[in-house]
Amino acid sequence: MEGSPSIELRGVDKEYRRAEFVVPVLSDLDLTVAEGEFLALMGPSGSGKSTLLNLVAGLDTATRGEVIVHGRNLGTLSEAEITRWRADNVGFIFQTYNLIPVLTAFENVELPLLLTKLSRKRRRENVKTALRIVGLEGREHHTPRQLSGGQEQRVAIARAIVTDPYLLVADEPTGDLDRATAGEILELLEQLNREFQKTIVMVTHDPLAARRANRVLHLDKGRLVDDVTDETSISAAS
Amino acid sequence: MKYFTYILRNARRNPVRTGLTIASTGICLFLMMILLSFFAMSAEVSSASRIFNRIVTMNANGFAGMLPVARVRQIAAMDGVLAATPFQWYGGKYHDEVMPFAQFGVDADVVFDILDEFTIPADQLADFKADRKGTVIGRKLAQDRNIKVGDSLPLKGDIYPVDLDLVVRGIYDGPNNRDLRMCLFHYEYLDESLKQTTMGAGSGGSLATEASRISGNAGSIFIKCQSADAMVELCRRIDDEYRSTEFPTRTQTEEAFGQMFEEMMGDLKNTVYWIGAAVVVSLLFVAGNAMAMSMRERTSEVAVLKAIGFNKSLVLFLVLSEAVLVAGLGGAIGALGCKFLCDYVDVARFSGGFLPFFYVPWNTALLGLGVSLFVGFASGLIPAVLAANSSVIDGLRKVV
Repeated sequence: MEGSPSIELRGVDKEYRRAEFVVPVLSDLDLTVAEGEFLALMGPSGSGKSTLLNLVAGLDTATRGEVIVHGRNLGTLSEAEITRWRADNVGFIFQTYNLIPVLTAFENVELPLLLTKLSRKRRRENVKTALRIVGLEGREHHTPRQLSGGQEQRVAIARAIVTDPYLLVADEPTGDLDRATAGEILELLEQLNREFQKTIVMVTHDPLAARRANRVLHLDKGRLVDDVTDETSISAAS
Repeated sequence: MKYFTYILRNARRNPVRTGLTIASTGICLFLMMILLSFFAMSAEVSSASRIFNRIVTMNANGFAGMLPVARVRQIAAMDGVLAATPFQWYGGKYHDEVMPFAQFGVDADVVFDILDEFTIPADQLADFKADRKGTVIGRKLAQDRNIKVGDSLPLKGDIYPVDLDLVVRGIYDGPNNRDLRMCLFHYEYLDESLKQTTMGAGSGGSLATEASRISGNAGSIFIKCQSADAMVELCRRIDDEYRSTEFPTRTQTEEAFGQMFEEMMGDLKNTVYWIGAAVVVSLLFVAGNAMAMSMRERTSEVAVLKAIGFNKSLVLFLVLSEAVLVAGLGGAIGALGCKFLCDYVDVARFSGGFLPFFYVPWNTALLGLGVSLFVGFASGLIPAVLAANSSVIDGLRKVV
């Protein structure tokens, strides 16, 4: 599977309008990400990396150009269609985990499955599998408040993979974690990429996190300034 | 149903706020039920009296007008009439009580044939008929004042210039939505007492003048008809019979008679409805504010839900369901709680004699529940629409 295009951006511009001002964020961006690739997006604040992540995740639309993910041109989809597409194809991992505090770990992971037609029994099986993959067996009934930061992020990862999407987007997934816990989370992402062939796009400021990826893109002022793929270069660049 | 856990957990997210919203909805609806039930109950009881085939005759000018007691016999003899009894309000005071309970001078021989929804043991009825000073009282009146058969029941005249020394000969019972707080005694005893006052005080005294004026007045006449079909015709015949006399009559069905008391309250009914509407509006503000606060705190959570694939209509449904659940719980506690409380606790006894009975009709309780669901829906609508249309990017901005 690895090698065929999973994400293609062709001449993508993104601008935001703030009152009478037009703020360009991404300019004429071309990018191809192969299926099964683990891509790290790096760059200073305001460089457009989160905007790029939002575009490939279907959370935002390009002002100009095409964003094609797994053969679907996201710009042609209606709001309802793109919402459905996200549910089927994208798993989200956020810096602050963004779990629903009133739900248990099990219920948080089950949320995306509520949108499917799976039976309750099947949902339960899938949630247990996802929690086992992230190493949280036995913590199903804990609420986020009863979990550590690392465990919360594991629940968030379980929520992201429970529907078996082919694309995982992670925005600073280790930003709120200590070094050791961050290492465990990155290990888990590597495992998902390696063993389950998930395409991962990760925004990070952390060079150590970027080293886990097999490709690192550097953005600055909305433009792609560096694209590193070999391991030695990644270590040097990040 | 698969979203119920999510809805329930969110409703319980801030127990104090949710509890206060439920409590305010519940208390407002409880009070609204009391107000609305007063009218709904009167209407229901009036319409329920249809099955008893009774009509009521009174003076055409109202209760203050004279209705000669001789007409009871005349009416009872008419075709289509099974029985007739005078029903003369006495309004005496029992011991130091300020508010009199219902006391009526009746024809002991037929009153329970006419008010046949009431039951009384045969021996007690026989004792009542045999004792001119005897009285029969309702079960609730007996319970309220701990009165037993054989006890004396002295009543001090307030409207009437005579006192009555009654002896309880029986206790009647009946359905809970009928007046079980009446005191029925022999009309003859009242009338004879009035005549004695007239004679004893001489012809020139004011007491004697008043007693003479009231004596022989039946007050109103309750008539049991042979069939429902005969009722309208009988009303017309009775009124035609006395149209050209000194005391013309107004005869109507018991249902219409009951409604007449409602009409006496004038615009109070509309006033109560307006108060109810104001309560609903204020509830909307309370519930709406609570829901809006709750949703403001969950901006990023809504964004996450939308990011992982919850569409607009589902978000709308979840927020509205939560609002309806909270307000509906308040409604269930307030409206249905009021209904069951009034069913199991005799709240009329706390009305100081103003109400013979009180209950919340089912249609009123369900109206209250419906109002609470409407309040939930309306109060949740704006927060729900805002949440459904909120931007995922803006919602995630705090964390992205």
